[in-house]
Amino acid sequence: MMLSIKNLTANVDGKEILKGINLDIKAGEVHAIMGPNGSGKSTLAHILSGRDGYEVTGGEIHYKGQDLLSLETEERAQQGIFLAMQYPVELPGVNNMTFLRESMNAIRRSRGEEEIDAVSFMKLVREKADSVKLDQKLLKRSVNAGFSGGEKKRNEILQMVMLEPYLAILDETDSGLDIDALRTVSDGVNLLRSPERSMIVVTHYQRLLEYIEPDHVHVLSDGRIIRSGGKELALELEARGYGWLLEEAAA
Amino acid sequence: MNQQLNDYSQAVSQYIENLPKDGGDWLVAQRSSAAERFTEIGFPNAKIEAWKYTGIEGLLKQGFETTDKLPEFPEHAVLRQFLEEPVAGRLVFVDGVYQADLSTCDTAGITVGNLRSAMAASDRAVLEVIGSLSGMGDHGFAALNLATVHDGAVIRVTSETCLEQPIELLHVATKSAEGQALRSRHLIMLETGASANLIERYVALDDAAYFNNLVCEISLAAGAKLTHQRVQLESPRAYHLSDIHLGLQADAYYHGINAAVGAAWSRTLIHNRFTAQGANCELDGLYLAGDGQLTDFHLDVDHAVPHCDSRENFRGILHGAGKAVFDGLIQVREQAQKSNAHLYNANLMLSRHAEIDTKPQLVILADDVQCSHGTTVGQLDPQAVFYLRSRGLDEQRARHLLSLGFASEVIDRFENETLRLQLADVIRQQLQS
Repeated sequence: MMLSIKNLTANVDGKEILKGINLDIKAGEVHAIMGPNGSGKSTLAHILSGRDGYEVTGGEIHYKGQDLLSLETEERAQQGIFLAMQYPVELPGVNNMTFLRESMNAIRRSRGEEEIDAVSFMKLVREKADSVKLDQKLLKRSVNAGFSGGEKKRNEILQMVMLEPYLAILDETDSGLDIDALRTVSDGVNLLRSPERSMIVVTHYQRLLEYIEPDHVHVLSDGRIIRSGGKELALELEARGYGWLLEEAAA
Repeated sequence: MNQQLNDYSQAVSQYIENLPKDGGDWLVAQRSSAAERFTEIGFPNAKIEAWKYTGIEGLLKQGFETTDKLPEFPEHAVLRQFLEEPVAGRLVFVDGVYQADLSTCDTAGITVGNLRSAMAASDRAVLEVIGSLSGMGDHGFAALNLATVHDGAVIRVTSETCLEQPIELLHVATKSAEGQALRSRHLIMLETGASANLIERYVALDDAAYFNNLVCEISLAAGAKLTHQRVQLESPRAYHLSDIHLGLQADAYYHGINAAVGAAWSRTLIHNRFTAQGANCELDGLYLAGDGQLTDFHLDVDHAVPHCDSRENFRGILHGAGKAVFDGLIQVREQAQKSNAHLYNANLMLSRHAEIDTKPQLVILADDVQCSHGTTVGQLDPQAVFYLRSRGLDEQRARHLLSLGFASEVIDRFENETLRLQLADVIRQQLQS
């Protein structure tokens, strides 16, 4: 099992946002988490990555058999968890290439591997930047500073393909993307699909799932998963909206 | 205090008395006037606004002396690390004493030499300029500098000469600087249309306590252009005081890029009064202060004539119990229409115990001008720290990377790559300690 979430409850500013989440993700699977705004999708993604400001009040999360909640954010990253953010942060003055290399080497060091040498790194980063259609010039700029929305998302995907996580979490990566960018981002994600890698795709719309085909779809509403199904569930949501599901759940 | 002043005044008289009287022009008249000026104004104190946050008690308590003691000369091999950059000319001072054998200049269109030689040779062209921009000194230390100046650099770039490689002015402090008050006076003159890049560096081979008391006069003739990269990496126990006075003729351009990282106590004054139209003065600066350090930048830019531009961008990183003072004054006089003047100061506080006293001042009397000023004092963005941690960097490394990012806006202004790398290294080391 890659990830196992049992009865997870969590508060933000004293308000209960997650009210008992249960979710099992096996290696190689892609899970989509959908749901209306405010349902707790992003909260779940952030808790998995270890972001501050969320109080876990109950339940457990196991990642590759270990207690995820006892790990620091950087330890999670070092062990292969990657969160592609909805709003990537701008880091003025921090060179994009330096940032990527520091990340890669931090992860390598934690695994007792040698740091990547400059030449191999340059070759790799150029090749991967091309694969996600990120302008090479942006590699030399400060991380995300002055990037367009689409460039920021491509930059997230570049980090993901460079760091090759075991569990990638994409938090509303599709928001604010035009079709071209969406396709490129999806291509990047699909490139990473492999039997030893799992993904959680958090999205409000079905659109992204046309490009990234999920194995499972879950609908989150008011802090609970109210329906799980196959990829056809996403299509049904696209056709019928969330209303009928919410009514069923309330009934 | 009065007793102390008397002691200083007496030592100064003694010093002037002992100057070599046989041959040369040792600036005795100017020195005597400066000595009088010192007796009259004494040392600055906290009642003087410009010195309010920069105490000098610690400096005076050290009792640094002006001696003519020669440095115990370090191995050339040790110095070589500082002499690797290709230059158009270089002047080396060890503990304030000029080192002719380490200094070079074989480029057409420039002359580099030292002030002591100019005094010994009664070089009027040099000596007449001394004090023309700085005056006798606005505070006691500057007056003492003029009264007892030992040596300094004299750099001249002739008309229309454009240098590819930089000129370097290197000051090295050794352990024999311990207890000494070193006082140098530099004179940089660019003739009409000349263009040069000056690197001025202060480094230490040891952690000696000494007082580097400097005055630098920079005169740019019409259309001359100087990039001045200045790095203060004094010993952690040192005191460093620099007064830089600029004189820009019509259409001259001065770009100063400053870094103050070393020393226990350091203060840099950059003074520029525009007196000819079309001149442009840009000042970038970076300061870093941690435990036991105080660093101070005073900028004084005076638009006295129309059509001049000034831009100042200073960034500071304060960590541990570090303390910094920033005082940036821009004056735009009534007749100085069409002036552009912009001042910005940003401070990054990495600890609760750090302190910054920042004071941007804009005094505008003309009405057709573009001026702005801004100051920020802030901490690292927790979102940014999280972002880096979520990519595998531990918190400390994340904070260092972001702090360097903050500094890089100024570091990147240094044209010389070796300086950029060296600064990034030193900052990384200081933040780690």
